[in-house]
Amino acid sequence: MALRSVLIAALLALAWPAFAQDRLEVVTTTGDLRSLTEAVGGNRVTVTSLVPPNIDAEEYQPKPQDVVRLKRAQLLVRVGLDYDLWLDRLLAQTGRPEIGRGGPSYVDASSAVAVLELRGMSVGPGDGHAHGSGNPHYWLDPKNAEIITANILEALARIDAANAAAYEANRQAFLARLSAKLDEWESKLSALRNVPIVAYHNSWPYFARRFRLDIVSFIETKPGVPPSPAHLAGVIRDMHARGARIVVREPQEPERDVAFVASRAGAKVVTLAASIGALPRTDDYIALFDANVKALTSAVAEQ
Amino acid sequence: MIEAFQFLWPAFLVAVCLVGIHAYFGIMVLARKVIFVDLALAQIAALGATVAFMLGHSAQSMATYGYSLTFALLASVLLAFTRAWGTRVPQEALIGVIYVVAAAAAILLIERAPQGAEHLKQILTGNILTSGLGDLVVIVPLYAAVGFLHWLLSRHMSGTGSLVWEFVFYATFGIVVTSSVAIAGVLLVFSFLIIPAAIGMMFAALMSGQLAISWIVGTFVSAAGLAASYMFDLPTGAAMVCAFGMSLVLAGMLYPFLRGDRPKAVRMTIMAARWTGATILAASALQLAGAPRADQPLLDIAEQAVPSLRRIYFTHAETTTFADANEYAERYRREAEQLNERERRNRTQGQSFDDFAVARISSFLKSYGEMRKGEQFVMGEVRARARERIRWSAGLGLLAAAIFVAPLPWRRLWNRG
Repeated sequence: MALRSVLIAALLALAWPAFAQDRLEVVTTTGDLRSLTEAVGGNRVTVTSLVPPNIDAEEYQPKPQDVVRLKRAQLLVRVGLDYDLWLDRLLAQTGRPEIGRGGPSYVDASSAVAVLELRGMSVGPGDGHAHGSGNPHYWLDPKNAEIITANILEALARIDAANAAAYEANRQAFLARLSAKLDEWESKLSALRNVPIVAYHNSWPYFARRFRLDIVSFIETKPGVPPSPAHLAGVIRDMHARGARIVVREPQEPERDVAFVASRAGAKVVTLAASIGALPRTDDYIALFDANVKALTSAVAEQ
Repeated sequence: MIEAFQFLWPAFLVAVCLVGIHAYFGIMVLARKVIFVDLALAQIAALGATVAFMLGHSAQSMATYGYSLTFALLASVLLAFTRAWGTRVPQEALIGVIYVVAAAAAILLIERAPQGAEHLKQILTGNILTSGLGDLVVIVPLYAAVGFLHWLLSRHMSGTGSLVWEFVFYATFGIVVTSSVAIAGVLLVFSFLIIPAAIGMMFAALMSGQLAISWIVGTFVSAAGLAASYMFDLPTGAAMVCAFGMSLVLAGMLYPFLRGDRPKAVRMTIMAARWTGATILAASALQLAGAPRADQPLLDIAEQAVPSLRRIYFTHAETTTFADANEYAERYRREAEQLNERERRNRTQGQSFDDFAVARISSFLKSYGEMRKGEQFVMGEVRARARERIRWSAGLGLLAAAIFVAPLPWRRLWNRG
């Protein structure tokens, strides 16, 4: 009996690559990377992201199914920069060196990205990030998509050399579309030049650099720690002094604290999505920016 | 000062209201020995709100509040019965089970709900700092009504009545906790509930006296916690909880002086302090002798407070190396900070850096980080070597200090020997 099940299992395991051959199974940690991988892989890949939409990827708790997904994965794409640290333990559990750090099927999408706000080991005052690897929200600069997709392309071409040209063509088409969109977003967001903005969490340095937004302070000083009264009073004083009329919040951040600051400073709260799926109508990488740009421009137009 | 006052008075008024009702419930809860019942009720209410949310109601709607309340009332029925079941299994065990199962069930539901996690979080992690008049308008009439009802029914609320009165008790408590946890968070509400009541019960026997002491203590400690959170730049809820904790410690230390044998209390206090000191010194001596390269909390704190202490056991060369490394580490930190600041300003001011310039800044920052780590390693190594050198002499010195501080009956030991 036992022998028979072992035999069946062994045969199925041998047969598995034959079923999987037609499409590459790619696993990403976040939905943002899923969208970018789909843009490069097109219909030659099936991409699954481990973190469901609208769950904070920094606090994700892996599920047993995630190990199964990793065991099947032919390519793994992660955010890196300590953003998805939980993946390391999951990889150790999976025990497949080829998708582990340095393996041929492992992509750290952050490699070659110019990282902002590196502070070594210790935390600078009030920057809201505890990690020494710099600010990890680099996908929020659309220009960085060129680097991220290049990293993905390189890995796809390595494990599926026969289709390398097709992947390259997909990527070029996507980048052309993105570049046209980038011009559109830049011209729309030029309305926010010199408009001081306050954010709850420091998720936006790359976004701010690309679109020249002036984010003057943050409500949260350390991730997950509620702000102290002196800090909040300082933020509100700053907002009055500089005339900041917009407070940016992500959907998972405490509504009450943001509303409190906004009402004290006479500002408007704008909810932005830092990742795909965090808000309705942010289903792919380009839609994510479309939605954020629209939210910001309409907030300014109303004032 | 005026700014602080302007900023904190709404939170203070809310805290006074919460202390008012929770100190009363705290006395009742302590008498019933169901200490964690508020956590169970709050969690159940959060589960109700989660269900409402999954059914498509918005977070602040009446429907969501209705679901929370219904769940809390159902739990109250269960809690009223736990006393009857609690003959062999302690009631507190069943309350704990209600708490963990409600918390786990909410997580399972949230897994399936879009944008659900943040709502669950917001139900259980209120922030008293950002509460205000809008909350007072709701809770003042609500708590007044609950308080009045309990005053009318005070004969039945002692915890010995029938199941119906127990249900009324838990149901009204559930209503109070559901609103207060959303305002102040689980930790702070628990402190409001238990700590003033415990202090009141320490120093008074009658309910009226207990209540008066609880209210006075609760109000003062809330004010102190809020002030400390402003002055020392701390998260408000956590600062207040710690202030309440310290007030309980103080009350516990005062108790023997006010209620017991005073000379004996003084003797015991001195004994306890000496034993604590001796234990810390002896443990530090063992740690230094046994593992000189590991953390030495006592030495580290002393050196932090008086850096010149290092000169006692560092050689001249070590002192210089340590100071140099410290200076370089600080310089790298400053330079990295300046670079970060320049990059930040450039996001909006002047000609924006091109991608190569940003990449160059990024790699400079990385190098500064590495160099700083290197200097810190040097500092750690110098100190570890110096400590290795003095492990036996300083260890014995600390041990001698420990024996000196310890209140051992030397004379008796000597005579017997």
